[in-house]
Amino acid sequence: MRKIVLIIPLILLTTVCLFFLLFILFEKDPNNPPSALLNKNLPVFSSASLYNDKENLVSDSLKGKYTLINFFASWCTPCRAEHHLFFEIKKEKPELFILGFSYKDDPNDSKKYLEEEGNPYSFVGIDQDGKIGFEFGVFGLPETFIINSDGQIIFKHTGPLTKEIIDNEITNLF
Amino acid sequence: MKLQIFFKLLFFLFFLIFSYYSYASESVDDKVKQLTLELRCMTCQNQSVYDSDSDYAKDIKKVVEEKFKQGLSEKEIKDVLTERYGEYILFRPYFNSKNLILWLFPFILVIASMFVFLRNLKKNRIE
Amino acid sequence: MISLIGFSSLCLSTIFSFVLLIPSSILHMKIKYFLFIYRSSTLLVCISFLSLILAYVTSDFSNFNVFQNSHSDKPLIYKITGAWGNHEGSILFWICMISIYGFLYSLISKSINDFKIIVLKIQSALFLIFALFVLFTSNPFLVNSVLVKEGLGLNPILQDPALAIHPPVLFLGYVGFSLVFSLAIASLLRGNQDHDWIKETRKWSMISWGFLTTGIALGSYWAYYELGWGGWWFWDPVENISLMPWIAGLALVHSLLMIRGEQAIEKWIIFLAILCFSLSILGTFLVRSGILTSVHSFTSDASRGLFILLIFFVTTGFGFLVFLIKSPSKKNDLHLLLINKTSALLINNILMMIAVLTILLGTIYPIIIEVLTNTRISVGGPYFNSTVLPILLPGFLLMSIAPALSWQTNKVKKFKIYVICFLVLSSLVVLHSYFTNFNSWGFIGLILSTWIIIASIISIVLRYKFSPTMQYIKSINSFIAHIGVGVMIIGITFSSIYQKEYNFNIAVGEEVAIDNQVLKLEKIQIIEEKNYQSLKANFSLEKKNRIISYIEPGKNYYPVSKMITTEAGIYHDWFKDIYITLGNENNNIWFIRVYINPLVSFIWVGVFIMIFSSVIAVIKK
Repeated sequence: MRKIVLIIPLILLTTVCLFFLLFILFEKDPNNPPSALLNKNLPVFSSASLYNDKENLVSDSLKGKYTLINFFASWCTPCRAEHHLFFEIKKEKPELFILGFSYKDDPNDSKKYLEEEGNPYSFVGIDQDGKIGFEFGVFGLPETFIINSDGQIIFKHTGPLTKEIIDNEITNLF
Repeated sequence: MKLQIFFKLLFFLFFLIFSYYSYASESVDDKVKQLTLELRCMTCQNQSVYDSDSDYAKDIKKVVEEKFKQGLSEKEIKDVLTERYGEYILFRPYFNSKNLILWLFPFILVIASMFVFLRNLKKNRIE
Repeated sequence: MISLIGFSSLCLSTIFSFVLLIPSSILHMKIKYFLFIYRSSTLLVCISFLSLILAYVTSDFSNFNVFQNSHSDKPLIYKITGAWGNHEGSILFWICMISIYGFLYSLISKSINDFKIIVLKIQSALFLIFALFVLFTSNPFLVNSVLVKEGLGLNPILQDPALAIHPPVLFLGYVGFSLVFSLAIASLLRGNQDHDWIKETRKWSMISWGFLTTGIALGSYWAYYELGWGGWWFWDPVENISLMPWIAGLALVHSLLMIRGEQAIEKWIIFLAILCFSLSILGTFLVRSGILTSVHSFTSDASRGLFILLIFFVTTGFGFLVFLIKSPSKKNDLHLLLINKTSALLINNILMMIAVLTILLGTIYPIIIEVLTNTRISVGGPYFNSTVLPILLPGFLLMSIAPALSWQTNKVKKFKIYVICFLVLSSLVVLHSYFTNFNSWGFIGLILSTWIIIASIISIVLRYKFSPTMQYIKSINSFIAHIGVGVMIIGITFSSIYQKEYNFNIAVGEEVAIDNQVLKLEKIQIIEEKNYQSLKANFSLEKKNRIISYIEPGKNYYPVSKMITTEAGIYHDWFKDIYITLGNENNNIWFIRVYINPLVSFIWVGVFIMIFSSVIAVIKK
C-alpha cells in the first residue's frame, strides 16, 4: 500500500506540468481573457449616428449580414495604430458591414479624429456614456467584434488589431 | 481523557460561533462596498473595483450601485456582470459544476485526513 | 569589458560545476580537489554577479540589461539594487546563492567526506541546470547592438528601500531550500538519516525558513505602505507562491524539531525537504513564465517559461522518484494519543499540507480551467479566506498548548490552571464583544490569539525556572515563537476586522474630524526630485488641540516611464496607523480616503518575534 501512495506525487506533478505546457503552447495571454460573449447573441442596442441625430441604427437591422464592430475613441492611442487596417478589410470584404462606436468620447472630438484619420465605417454610432459598450463587455479600447449573419458573436479582440491577427483569425471566419 | 473532552467542547463552541449570523440590514453603500471588493478591475493588475481609481472601476461601481437601488440581489448583479465580462471578473468563483473540485477539495481533504488520523489513533489503542 | 568578464566567469563557473558531476568511476577526485573546484566555481559566479553590479554602478549602457533597466539619474543605491530588480539579474543572483549555500555547507558541515561530496554534487547539479537557463535564455551580459547615451529607466515602483532588499532576502529563503533538498537526496542515496543529519538539516531549514519569513514580511510591509490601498496581503498569485514553501518549510521545521527517532517521521521529513524546494522552483516558474497575471510582472517569454517548466519537472520528478525508489519501507512507529505531542505534530503537518494543497489548487485552477474550457475564471482573496483560514484555525488552537504536551501521555501538567485561565479569558472576550460590534471572525481571532499568548506564558512560568542565560531562552524558544504568532494574529484581526474607513472631499485649509482627532489639509506641494516629480498633500494631525504629527500622502510622476504612482501617507504609533491615500482632484477639491488601522504594528512585531525565534534556534548554546 505504501509504495502506491508514493506514486501520487509523481502523477500529480506530471498532470500539473502537462497543463502548464498546454497553457504555454496554446499561447494564452494572461492580459487578454477570452470573451464571455463568444457564441452568444448580439446584445440589443439602438444608437444615433455620430453625424446625424435623426439617423438611427438598431441591432436587429444587422441580421442577415456579417458585421464588424469596433469601439474606438479620439483619446485612445492604440486605436490610431489599428485604424488603417479597417480600410484594408473594407477593400477585401466589401459586403462586410463595418460599425464603429465612438466610446466615451466627445462627439466633436470623434468627428475630428475621423476627419484626420479617415472614416472606414459604414456607420458610426455614439456611445458617450459607455452603456452600449457595457453590454458588449468592453473594458479597454480598442475592442473589435465580428458578428455572423445569424447574429452570433464569433470573434472578439481587446487591444489593437494587427495584420497577423486579421490574416490568421479573421479571414477564416467568412 | 479530560483533555479530550476539553477539545471536543472547544470545537463545539467554535461551531456555535460560526453559526451566528447578524441579520442587520445593510445600506446600499455597504452592499456596494462588499460586492465591489470581490470584483476584479479589468484594467488593473489584480486590484478590486472598490480599491481602484481607474475609469473602468468607477463605471462598474456606478452600475453596481444602480442595480442595488433597482432592487437586484447580489447574485443577480454578479450574473449581469459575468454575462458581459465572464466569470473572470469575480474574485470569488461561482459554486457551479465547473468549480466543484475547487470548492470541495479542501473540505474532502479535511474529512479524509480526520478519518485516517482517528483510525490510526484507534490502531494505537488496540496495540 | 565588464560584461565580458561577467560572461566568461559565468561560463567558467558552469564548466567547473559540470566537471564536478562526472561520476567518480570515470574521474576520481580527492576530496580536496573536489572542494577546490566547487569553491572556485562559487568564486567565479560571484565575480560574475559583482561585474553585473559594477556595470550598473558605472551605468555601462553597452550592456543591454543595464540599458533596459537603469538610468544615469538613478540614485546610486538604486542602481545597485537594479541589478537584481529584473529577470536576468535576479536569476543570476539566484544561481549565485545556490553556489554560496553549497560553499558555506562545505565549510561548516561536520559530515563525513563521502556524504559531503554527494550533497555538493547534487547542489552542483542544481546550479548547473539553472546556470544553463541563464546562459541560454536569460543572459544579463548581452551586448547592446546600438550605441546609446542613456538607459530606459528603472521601474519607479522598485525605487524603494524595502523592495530593494525584498528579493535578495526572499531568494536567500527559496534557495536555502536547495541545500535542504540536496541533503535529503544525499541521505536517500546513502540510506542513512542519523542524528547528525537531522541536526544539520534542521539548521539549514531553519535558516532558509527564517530568511523566507523575513522576505515575505518585507514584501508585505512594502505592499502596505507603497501600493496605497491599505492592505498587506492580497492572495495575489505571487504572494501565494511564496506562502506555499513558507508553510511547507514551517511543517518541515516543526517535524525536524520534534523528531525523536521515529522512522515514519524521518521519511516524512525527507519528503517535505524535497517538497519545499520543488515549491520554490514552481514559484519561480509561475512568476517568470508569464502565465499568471499579478502585481509582480517580469517580462515573459515562451522559451523561458518552457525551460523553467522543464527544470521544475525534472528536479521535482527526480526528487520524488529517488524518494519512491530509495526510501525503504519504514514501520509506522508513531505513538499517537489524543492528545500527545506526536499527535499534535501529526495534526500540524496534516493541516499545513492541506493548506498548501488548497493554495496550490486555487492558484493554478484558472490555468487548468482555461486549458480545458477556454474560459477564464479568477480565484482570488475570497476563496482563500473561505478555505485556508478555517483550515488553519484548529492549528492555531493546538499551537497554544502543543509545546506543553507530553510525549507519552495525553495529560498536561497543571491542566486545571489552563482551563481556568481559558474560561476567564473567554469571559473577558465575550464581555468585550458585547460592548463593541460583534463579529464572529473578530471574536475568534481575539480569543485564539490571546489564548495562544497566555497559554504560552503559563507554560513558561510553570515549567522553566528563569535565568538570564541563552540556555533558558533556547528552552522557552518554542513558546516565544508561538507568542509571536499570537501577537501577529491580534494585529491581523484588529487591523482587518476593526478597521475604520472614511472618505472625504477636502480643499486646502479645510479640516475633518475623526474620532477625537482632527486632520487638516495644510498645503499641496509640488517638488522636483532627481528623476521624478512629486506632489504631496501635507496634512496636520491634531489631538486635543496639539499638532502631534504631519501626514503626507502624495502622487509621483516619473517622466521617463510616464507612470504615476500613489504614495500613501502614514502615521504610525504602537496602537494604530492612520493611513491616507490621495484620490482624484476636481476644482482644487481632493478626494481622500482615510483608514484607521488598529494594532497594525502588532503584525510586524509578531513577525519579528518569529524571526527572532528562528535565529535563537540556530544559535549554539
